[in-house]
Amino acid sequence: MIRIAAVGDIHMGPDSQGLLRPAFETLPECADLLLLAGDLTRHGTPEEARVVAREVRDLGVPVVAVLGNHDHHDDRPDEVTAILRDAGAHVLEGQGTVVTSGGARIGVAGTKGFGGGFVGRCAGEFGEPVMKEFVRYSRRCADSLRASLEQLGEEGCDARIALTHFSPVPDTLAGEPLEIYPFLGSYLLAEAIDTAGADLAVHGHAHAGTEHGMTNGGVRVRNVAQPVIGRAFHVYHLPVHDHVTTGAAAQAAR
Amino acid sequence: MTTHGSQPPGGGEPEQNLEYRIAHLQDRLASGELGELGVRVEARGRTVLLTGTVPSAPCRDEIVRTVQEELAGVPVHSDLVVTETSSPDHAEELA
Repeated sequence: MIRIAAVGDIHMGPDSQGLLRPAFETLPECADLLLLAGDLTRHGTPEEARVVAREVRDLGVPVVAVLGNHDHHDDRPDEVTAILRDAGAHVLEGQGTVVTSGGARIGVAGTKGFGGGFVGRCAGEFGEPVMKEFVRYSRRCADSLRASLEQLGEEGCDARIALTHFSPVPDTLAGEPLEIYPFLGSYLLAEAIDTAGADLAVHGHAHAGTEHGMTNGGVRVRNVAQPVIGRAFHVYHLPVHDHVTTGAAAQAAR
Repeated sequence: MTTHGSQPPGGGEPEQNLEYRIAHLQDRLASGELGELGVRVEARGRTVLLTGTVPSAPCRDEIVRTVQEELAGVPVHSDLVVTETSSPDHAEELA
């Protein structure tokens, strides 16, 4: 069994230093790794990133993170990433990483992702340049997620997790106004997850959403935005099979 | 349609329109010091209700202060809660 701890949208600033650390220090007792699903800061400043870094340094379990839209606000995502990496976190954008725990190889593919909406109610790559770029950017994020998951499949991980900030499915947005769904996620992420295969998808971003959802391909989705889970993190127990995977690419890799 | 006096058609001065004032407030909450996009601000009759979860008590206080400043003259009810930071008491089995 793999024990996955996850939280997103912790929105840390100088006034929140130390708030999560006591709970995070219990992680070695209950989890094999900690996933951070973006919006770790309020404005994406180096000062705020250092607050997060101190919160997650030397926790005793691997920390794997993606950034969120808030972490981009100050236009310094590379600095934020570097500060978190200095603290030992794996920060992913269009990449995957493998962490090991108790002999199990856990692959995590991560991207911030982006909006665009869900099938039948989504933005199209048409019209003004800014509109086309909006959709292309979302597509690039999804394509990178698919490629990372496929790579992890070829590496024979015992479990593969898709980690994003934006949501791959509308299920976990329930509670948010319908009108803003296109700003909260994109079906392109779910399509990537279903095409490459994964055992779990974890995201944040939708503070008023709900925790549980599933892709059309049957991959479970969890919205771990801190306001949703109401805790410092949630833990998911994933059974370990022999190279547990779904999806066409995973089949091909066997 | 007949209009009376100097009142512009369409329902009064924009600065008196609560809906637009709320929209401007939300812009200020998002782009200002707070970077706050998670607070719902809704008109309830002649009052305004704040709901949502915020990361810290100082954040909550600052949001309420900003709302009261931006919506001066409008009674504001806050149901904002501060996010819970305790460890979970159980795990979910994904069998």
